[in-house]
Formats: sequence, structure tokens, C-alpha cells
Amino acid sequence: MRWEWSEVREMDDQGCPRCKTTKYRNPSLKLMVNVCGHTLCESCVDMLFVRGSGNCVQCDTPLRKSNFRVQLFEDPAVDKEVEIRKKVLKIYNKRDFDFSNLREYNDYLERVEEIVYNLTNNLEVEGTKQIMEAYQRENRDIIQKNKAKLTREQEELEELLLLEQQGNEQRRLETLQEEQRQLQAKRKSKQALLDELERSHVPATILLAQHKDRAAQLETQIEKQKQVVKTTIFSTGIPMGQTVSLLTVNRLEEVLYHYQPIHMHTYGPPVPELEQLGRLGYLNHVRTAQPQDMAGGYNSGLACHRAIQDAFSGLFHPLG
Amino acid sequence: MFHISSQKKYWTFDNEESLEQLRCEANQKYRNKMLASGKPGVSDAVFLEAHEENVLFRHYEKRLLDFCNAFKPVMPKSVVGTAIMYFRRFYLNNSLMEYHPRTIMLICAYLSCKVDEFNVSSTQFVGNLVQESAAGQERALEQILEYELLLIQQLNFHLVVHTPYRPMEGLLIDIKTRYPLLENPESLRKSVDDFLTRVTLTDSGLLFPPSQIAMTAILNSASRAGLSMESYLTECMGLKEDKETLLKMYDAMRRIKSLMKKYELPKPDEVNAYKVKLERVHADFGTNSNMKRKRGYEDDDHVAKEPRMTEEDCLLSMILRMVSLRAWWTKGVAVAFMYCSISVLASVVARNRVVASSGNHQREGTSHQPSVCVCVS
Repeated sequence: MRWEWSEVREMDDQGCPRCKTTKYRNPSLKLMVNVCGHTLCESCVDMLFVRGSGNCVQCDTPLRKSNFRVQLFEDPAVDKEVEIRKKVLKIYNKRDFDFSNLREYNDYLERVEEIVYNLTNNLEVEGTKQIMEAYQRENRDIIQKNKAKLTREQEELEELLLLEQQGNEQRRLETLQEEQRQLQAKRKSKQALLDELERSHVPATILLAQHKDRAAQLETQIEKQKQVVKTTIFSTGIPMGQTVSLLTVNRLEEVLYHYQPIHMHTYGPPVPELEQLGRLGYLNHVRTAQPQDMAGGYNSGLACHRAIQDAFSGLFHPLG
Repeated sequence: MFHISSQKKYWTFDNEESLEQLRCEANQKYRNKMLASGKPGVSDAVFLEAHEENVLFRHYEKRLLDFCNAFKPVMPKSVVGTAIMYFRRFYLNNSLMEYHPRTIMLICAYLSCKVDEFNVSSTQFVGNLVQESAAGQERALEQILEYELLLIQQLNFHLVVHTPYRPMEGLLIDIKTRYPLLENPESLRKSVDDFLTRVTLTDSGLLFPPSQIAMTAILNSASRAGLSMESYLTECMGLKEDKETLLKMYDAMRRIKSLMKKYELPKPDEVNAYKVKLERVHADFGTNSNMKRKRGYEDDDHVAKEPRMTEEDCLLSMILRMVSLRAWWTKGVAVAFMYCSISVLASVVARNRVVASSGNHQREGTSHQPSVCVCVS
């Protein structure tokens, strides 16, 4: 198995605090995190918590083996916070439409964050837990309602995902079948050609020409089939068959942009355009460009135009 | 282009009086500064008057012109024009007593070579100071580098100067194309060049757009040669109806010509007298900031060298670390050695890639190790 150098370095960094094995010595090593936020490798967990419960190595809090989860993040503190957040949000599950204005919602969120922060950093654990319990008691029915709503939404999402997956599967199978059919058709036509070459009395060249024709026809058929893709969505992204609300959308009136070309005041007579220079005869009086100059994209008109521009610029200054 | 340039916005003045005013103010400012500093021997008589400064200015300007003309390789005319313009602009806002024109002269030429993309190395430049020894040239170079930034600052960082040479070429092309009345414009070229060289020694560059100066030059040479070119302005430039602009053009041309007439080479005895005064002012009150600047340069070098050292350090440490680590490929330590040698080669690549490693050098070094890994395995 091959790893990137950066991954190898990281493997070296992380290690079990007890047995000091690191991931590079035993690549299949998994670190587990518990509620106190300290990590232990799988083997150490098995050893220490053989009886199901014990104390953490580093902070001596009583723990249970079942509370150990595989570490998802590099920093075990993050894992700990994620767990705590999940638990808190099970209770504090109000959503933005539950509040009458933005300020209240933000205040609510601030309270939630404070609770999570306190629990993660072990500040005022008791007080926070009491606050949580009080909230739970007061808003029991709201919590229930929201829980139900959440599960419903999740189910809907899952359904959509399932549908999409099924659609993908179907399409895949269809394309496979198509390919199979095409292969078979080709094989059949080849076989037919061989048979005809054997049996019929028509000269071989004509048979080959006929075969080629048929093969070309088959190709065009296949191409046409490919182009008939089933349209399932409109170009705007709305899937076919979905009911679209016919409420009027607010019209946005915007000011139309009018292009104004830039006008540069040169305080002098007008300069002829670069393209006109040849026609007007200016280029006769400029040194012709050598081949090595023209290779870089230079032509004598450029130098001529610049000289004329410089000559005319500011000639009528200071009035223009 | 001139019409959007900083030259038109900031360095084109209305009349000679405002220029005189600025020079007087610069002179006065220096005097006040010196008088306020209360150094011994300071009195009004010691300082140069504005008109005396003017004489010296013209003298050094001529010397600058001669220096540029004697320059090897041959300096293009626009470079010369730019150098003289820098010199003029600098002493519009500063007094000759504060910064000696001898040094500023050379710096103007040096900067102008750089700005106009006339590629001359610094050693080549000071090699043109034929009257000095090698050590003298070294010292001159140091001085140049010291004051270069000051010059740029006093020019207010407006480094692009529009000289009348290209407008002159453009007008000649235009005359050849649209004005067949004048048979051989090329015959005018020599006198036009002469005119333009003389005009750079006047204040015209600070008062008129370069295209007007070029036009004056051409019309003047034509009239000197007895050829009539009056209809050029009215017909080709479309000024037949626009009497006002035509009058203004004639007025401008007249003023340029009068400026040229007024110019005269400074008299040698006057120059010598004022030079003595100038030298005394510089000797007595000149600030010697050589020492400070030198240290500044050394510091710069030192700072520039440091990241290099840490780069090499980090790479060396990487290599050592590689050797000391157990090779976890099954191929063994021989691979680690091969890796070492490749890392040395990779250090060349690293030097190009890791420009300013801030923070974790090691991490920078690791970022391109995968590529080496791949070629090893």
C-alpha cells in the first residue's frame, strides 16, 4: 500500500498515549475517543476495559467501553465537541421559522453555543446540565414536534436519494444492454458476410461493398438512437412532471446599460487610424520592417502610428 | 501619450515667471533652513543668490550635455533629453547649495538610461568618467547609488519624459505624406536637430508640449532655409477656420524662439566665482550621509542572505532526517541513500520553488518530495 508523504508524516504524529504505537508502525491502528476527549488505540481499549468500565488514563474520569467511538478528526477535542453537539442539538432542536425575528433566533443560537462550549471545555458542567434539563422540561412538546418534523424531512431526502440512485442504476443497465445489442448485431453481420462469401456466386468485391453499406447503415442507426435521450428535465432545471407554483414572481426593474465609447481628448488634430495609414500613404515614408522584425508581430504601421500620435498630441494645448 | 501623461499634468507650467518663482522659493527654503539651524559661519552673504544659482545651473547643464554626447556607447537623443529634463526638474524644487550639481548630473544621466531602456551597466557607466581613476569611479558609483532614490523622490516618481524627438519624426512623416508643397523635408533635418538640442537647454520643456516644440523647430528651419510652410498649419492641421487656436500656436512658437534667443552660455569668470562660493557652502554645511547609507546597504545584503541560509539548512536537515528514519519501504536502506542523492539534486529545484519560506520550512520541503518518491519507486 502506498501513501502520500504528508499522510505518512501525519501517521507518525498521532499515536496512542498509552502504548505509544503510532499509525505507521501498525497502519490498521484505529484511535478511539471517549466522552472525556482523550484517545486510546483499539488494542489498549480492549485491554483496559476488559470488564466493560474503567477510568481514563489521562484524566481519570470513569468511562464505559461502549462510549468509545472511532476517531474521525485529527484532534480528539473536535471529536468530543461533535459528540456533545449532537446530544445538545437533540434537545435544542428549534429551527429558524420557529422564531418571530432574526434577533431572537440569533440569541437562541448563542445560548446553544455557550452550552456546547461549556460542556466541551468542562466549565460549569453541573450548571449547564441543569439549564439543559430545565429547557427540556419546559419545551417538551415543541421538542417532540420538531423531532417528528426532522424525521419526516430526513425520510423525504432519503426517498429522493433512493430515486436518484435507482435512476442511475437503470440508465447504467440500459447502456450496457445497448452495447451488448450493438456488439451482437455487428457479430451477426460479420457472420452473414462470411456465409455469403461461402455460398453465393456473386463476386467477392460486390459482397464486401454490400457489407460495408450495411455496416454504415447500422452505425447511423446507433447514432440516431444515442441522440434520442429521454428528456427528464426542462432546461431550467425543473424536472418534468413536477407541479410549478403559478404565483407571480416579483418583477425586478433594472436600468438598461448603455455603452458609451471612451472619448480621449488629445488636444491636437485627429490622428488617422492604424489601418488607414497604408492607404493614406504614410507608410511610404517609414522604414520598412525587416523579416526579423515582422516575425515578432511588428509592422511598420505601428511605429508610424505612434510617431503621428506623438506629433499630434498636445499640439493645440492649452486649449484643445 | 503626452495628453494623459504626468508631464502634462504636473510638470507643464504656464509661464516663465512661475518657474522663476519656484526656483526662488527653493533657494529661500534652503537659506531659511540653514539660518534656522544656527550653524557657525552662517550668514546671508555666504549663500548664493537665485540668479547666481541660475548661472551655475546652466554651466552644469552644459557639462551634462557634453557628458552625454561623449558617452560610449552612443546615447540616443531621447535619453539625453530625458536626463536634462530630470536635471531641470530637480533643481526647480531644490537648491544647488543643498545638493551638488556635479553628483546630481551623473545620477540624472544614469536614471535616464534606465528609464529609457538604454541598457548600460553601472560599471560601464562610470567607465565613461575618463578623468577619474578606478577608485574615483568606484566612489562616483557609490554616490550615484546613494542619491538615486532621492532624485526619483524629488521627481515625484514621474519618470516618463516626453521629448520632442519622436513628434519631430512624426511631423516629418506627416509633411512628406500630406504636404507636397515642401519638396525635400529631409534637408531640414539637420537644422531641426540643432534647434532641438538648443531648445533642451532652455525652459521650453517645462512650458510647452513636445509636439509644439517640434513644430516650432520645423517651421523655424523651413523659414531659415527660405521655404514657406505657412499653409501647412492652415490646411493640413485644419486650422483655417479655427483662428483662435492658430493664434495661440503662433504665440507659443514665438515664445519658444524668444526663450532660445535669451539663452546664452555662462561666462567662465562668473562661473568660477560662483563655483568657489558653492564649494564653500558644500564644504561647510554639506551633510555627509555616506556613513549611514553604507550601513543601510550592508543591512540589506545581510537580510537578503538569511533566508538562503535557512533554506539550505532545512534541506540538509531533511536529508539527514531521511537517512536516520527507518525506511518503511521493503526495499531497505539502500533506497534511502539513493533518495539522499536525489534530494541533493532536488535542492536545486527547491531553491527555485521555495522562495520565501515563512513558518514551517519542513512542510515546504515535503511538498515536492512526492514527485521524487515517484521517480524513485
